[in-house]
Amino acid sequence: MHVPTRGMKIVVLYCQHCVTYGKESPIAPREHDGVVVQTVMMPCSSKVQASEVLKLLAAGADGVEIVACSDESCRLLVGSRMAEKRLQYAQRLLNEVHVPKERLGFSWKSGVGPEELEAIGLRRASAVEASTVEAPGGGEKT
Amino acid sequence: MKTKVGSNLERVLAAGHFAVTAEVGPPRGPNPEAVLKKVKAVKGIADAYNVTDNQTAVVRMSSIAASRLLLESGLEPVMQMVCRDRNRIAMQSDLLGAWALGLRNCLCLSGDHQVAGAGGKLKGHPGAKNVYDVDSVQLLSILRGLRDEARQEGGDAIDCPAPFFIGAAWTPLGPPEKFRAVRLGKKVAAGADFVQTQAVFDIPRFTEAMRRVVDMGLTERVAILPGIILPRSAGMLRYMNASVPGVRVPEALIQRMSSASDPKEEGFKIAVELIHAVRQIPGVKGVHLQAIEAEHLLPQLAERAGLLPRP
Amino acid sequence: MIFSEWKPLDEIVRQLDGRKKVLLVGCATCVAECAAGGEREVETLAPLLSLAFREKGQPIEIVTCTLEKQCEWEFVEELSGKATGVDALLSLACGIGVQALAERFPELPTYPGVNTSALTIREEAGIWASRCAACGDCVLGETFGYCPMARCAKSLMNGPCGGTRENGKCEINETLDCVWNLIVERAELRGELESLGRVRGPKSWSNSRHGGPKRVIREDLRA
Repeated sequence: MHVPTRGMKIVVLYCQHCVTYGKESPIAPREHDGVVVQTVMMPCSSKVQASEVLKLLAAGADGVEIVACSDESCRLLVGSRMAEKRLQYAQRLLNEVHVPKERLGFSWKSGVGPEELEAIGLRRASAVEASTVEAPGGGEKT
Repeated sequence: MKTKVGSNLERVLAAGHFAVTAEVGPPRGPNPEAVLKKVKAVKGIADAYNVTDNQTAVVRMSSIAASRLLLESGLEPVMQMVCRDRNRIAMQSDLLGAWALGLRNCLCLSGDHQVAGAGGKLKGHPGAKNVYDVDSVQLLSILRGLRDEARQEGGDAIDCPAPFFIGAAWTPLGPPEKFRAVRLGKKVAAGADFVQTQAVFDIPRFTEAMRRVVDMGLTERVAILPGIILPRSAGMLRYMNASVPGVRVPEALIQRMSSASDPKEEGFKIAVELIHAVRQIPGVKGVHLQAIEAEHLLPQLAERAGLLPRP
Repeated sequence: MIFSEWKPLDEIVRQLDGRKKVLLVGCATCVAECAAGGEREVETLAPLLSLAFREKGQPIEIVTCTLEKQCEWEFVEELSGKATGVDALLSLACGIGVQALAERFPELPTYPGVNTSALTIREEAGIWASRCAACGDCVLGETFGYCPMARCAKSLMNGPCGGTRENGKCEINETLDCVWNLIVERAELRGELESLGRVRGPKSWSNSRHGGPKRVIREDLRA
């Protein structure tokens, strides 16, 4: 069972087309109140697969958020919509194995800067924390 | 039509009378009293009584057993056999047994698939393995083989013929509409002696469908009995129109039921009118009366439609 | 393709209960085409099972491998190095692949991760529909290219039954076209409607699984 404590790690996968700043400069992981938000740029949100986000969770991320261009501005037309569908699919799978689906999230954005990405990550962290339930016997901390 | 089998239904039709058949559903249990109760309700109103075979894939007392109970009570049964639950071996075996028990009329149907069965109200057996070894047209030819050639489908002989008066079902309306007449022709070619149709409410369209089969010469070889269901409410008609394939209910009839001060009475009026109307159509040789789980109302319907007494 | 879908995850987890290290094996052929057992599905199921078992407080290690075909011995052999230390195999292939693994690794339990249910075509992205029933006596030449064994719920050879809906769909599944309606329409299109007026006799099912499990020997192809 997932027991969140200080040291939570959130990965934000963002589409390169929904940010304002130069894509060539990667953003370093930022820590805020014990939550580490790592942002990872995707060439396009449509490339995200359910396997990818689930692997991030299995490898130790407490939460993963996909940030994609709004439906009208997606350059692939249906790319971000497909990404949302896959994210929702991954959430259904988590639900089926009794893992809180709040560990995954999706945001439609355009023209965001690094602070907003970090804020999105922190919001995901709060949602993950709120979704976990204390169970007798505890479990492994990831 | 000369008689080959000697059943009452066959004799009535051969004599040129307007035949009447009615439907009796067996009980969902083993109690013969339940069958006898229905017998009492409908005795004397029809020339033969259809006994359904696990209709809508709901387990009920078998058609053959319930038919035998009817026979013992003095009613002539029309057993029914669907293709869903039995392979050709079981079918032929059951038919030989049915004949030995005195049954002489058999209606051949493909049968409702068990996934859609039970009308959503009962659990049914959606997990059952269905059979559909042969279809209803092939079953007709199997019966004809048992009767006219004393031969099983696989080629072996049977020790003496098992003559049945062979029935088929027909859905005259329903896509592909023009092909429905062709398919009836196949059933006649395969061996059908009489045909009972899906419930008729739309007289003009049914008349058109009958015209096609008359033109094909089919009505000289097979006796067609349109199905007449007694309407009980506007809701029932709306449901049938929307959900029962092949049943078309004209809006005018639905309106009559919904605006009637006494819908039950209006239902009788409509059914009587339908019976009179189909009686005028060339090629129609009788009617098949149905009142879903309300067989006790059929005597009143038969009386009011001028169908009594039976010959 | 042979069509399979994931078993309910609860069932997969139950099957693997108590195991410590599981080799999850995919197949790049049929089950990949129906998005159930290819590499992508393997890479989705593996972390999901890790998360599931972690949630139960029973950590499990899932190692993965996707074979080109699980029904060919030469590909199955690729697993020989990968099964060390593993206490169970979980296969996402059809029953053929599961049994090939079970035969090659008799000392290990091989569990099925999918239910195989049909032979289908992919109509479009995300939609698969039955096309073949392996009846052993193909009648497609007589039915204008539509198979009534696979696509008619009642396997009628003299259809349609009375269950064709107004819109041409099947009574038992409104997403399905009544295949006999399609057959008649195509016959009309070709001006060959009379051919459907012939009564077709009962089918022989003896060349299908109704005739017993198959074991076919082609001497001309044997070493």
